[in-house]
Amino acid sequence: MKLHEKILTHYLSCTSPVDKEGYLYKKKERNATYQRRWFVLKANLLFYQERPADRHLLGVIVLERCAVRRAESDAQFAFSLVFGPGLKTYRFAAVDRQTQESWVKALLSASHCYLSLLVRDLGRQYEEAKQQQGSGESRSSVTALKPSTYSFLFTAQGPTTAAVVREGRSHSASTVLQASSIPTKVVAKKSPKLWPRRNAYVTPLNGPAPLYGEWPLVGFDPLEDFRKLHDYYGQEVKKAREEWLRSRQAEEERSDEDLIDLG
Amino acid sequence: MRFNEKELVSLSRQPSEMAAELGMRGPKKGDVVKKRLVKLVVNFLFYFRTDEEEPIGALLLEQCRVEREDSQTFSIAFLDEAERKYLFECDSEEQCGEWVDSIIKASYEFMRKNLIFYRTEIHRLTGKDPLEQYGISDETRFQVSNGLQLMSPWVKYVA
Repeated sequence: MKLHEKILTHYLSCTSPVDKEGYLYKKKERNATYQRRWFVLKANLLFYQERPADRHLLGVIVLERCAVRRAESDAQFAFSLVFGPGLKTYRFAAVDRQTQESWVKALLSASHCYLSLLVRDLGRQYEEAKQQQGSGESRSSVTALKPSTYSFLFTAQGPTTAAVVREGRSHSASTVLQASSIPTKVVAKKSPKLWPRRNAYVTPLNGPAPLYGEWPLVGFDPLEDFRKLHDYYGQEVKKAREEWLRSRQAEEERSDEDLIDLG
Repeated sequence: MRFNEKELVSLSRQPSEMAAELGMRGPKKGDVVKKRLVKLVVNFLFYFRTDEEEPIGALLLEQCRVEREDSQTFSIAFLDEAERKYLFECDSEEQCGEWVDSIIKASYEFMRKNLIFYRTEIHRLTGKDPLEQYGISDETRFQVSNGLQLMSPWVKYVA
């Protein structure tokens, strides 16, 4: 299979920030020796080269569907990326505990699947926070069920993320990804019946495409996008707040009338 | 450059909501339209010969420009080379729109922006950082960029 390398190297060298970089020892598959390499982590891609200044990239590891494991078997401060039966296990060693922990943490949250789960979860929390701010009472259960708002995030990730969550649980305790704990932690706050996470299993493979056009912006300038998004959602909050104030006023008027019962 | 090919091929076999036979044309002069099974998995666009198990190739959907060329055709340009485009012919206007939308939203960088937006907004509305409960507040990848330094006091600056 051809991996269009130029696209990857272009992405690596572009202005978006690097998520982590540093020296690590990488174990050679053949003769089990460790070689020092310079690693650069960006999004769900782990690039490596001999030295930081090198223009020539030795390789890249796509970090999807792999577990991150701490392993002390043959080297100190070692960890590995396990892709599963029939697939590779990449083994690494750091120079100290701090470096090892830092890399393990960074790799645990690197996958696209993980980010997708996180975004979905935060999207829900955001909708709830907006509702609670606007209405002053908890109507969050109704909003949480509104499928149209979240369906645009259910692109290709429904079944895949469900698989990731299952995989996360089946691996050893040290690799129980934060990702796998996200759905359970949030579920604890709500009645399971109302929890829209079921959509992850219900989204049909060949079903209708998620609603688009709802997400107001698809631009590339982060500052502008966020301000516009901020204002766009700010309108909703403003409107909801006004409605709440009006309903409160109406309530107060009613209660004033009944204060004194003159028989 | 070495890469984990077997693992990537395995990834390409995962179920995807966006998988269809499209007419695909490469960016070089002389490239012709060929029928390909095009499949979107995470931030990769895989393309197969119909009925083949292993994809011919994989395109990383980052730093690319997706555009509607006409009612049923969209293009993807990489490497900031606006003229060198991959072309994809769909069966309908609706299908074309779905693909453009899906590809844009599949980008890791796009999703990261969404996350940072939600994180900032949730903090503004509730006073809490939603990433704290997952122990990932300090991860570099989730930090708010310089452009948002005006929003909240706890925002970290990424140099």
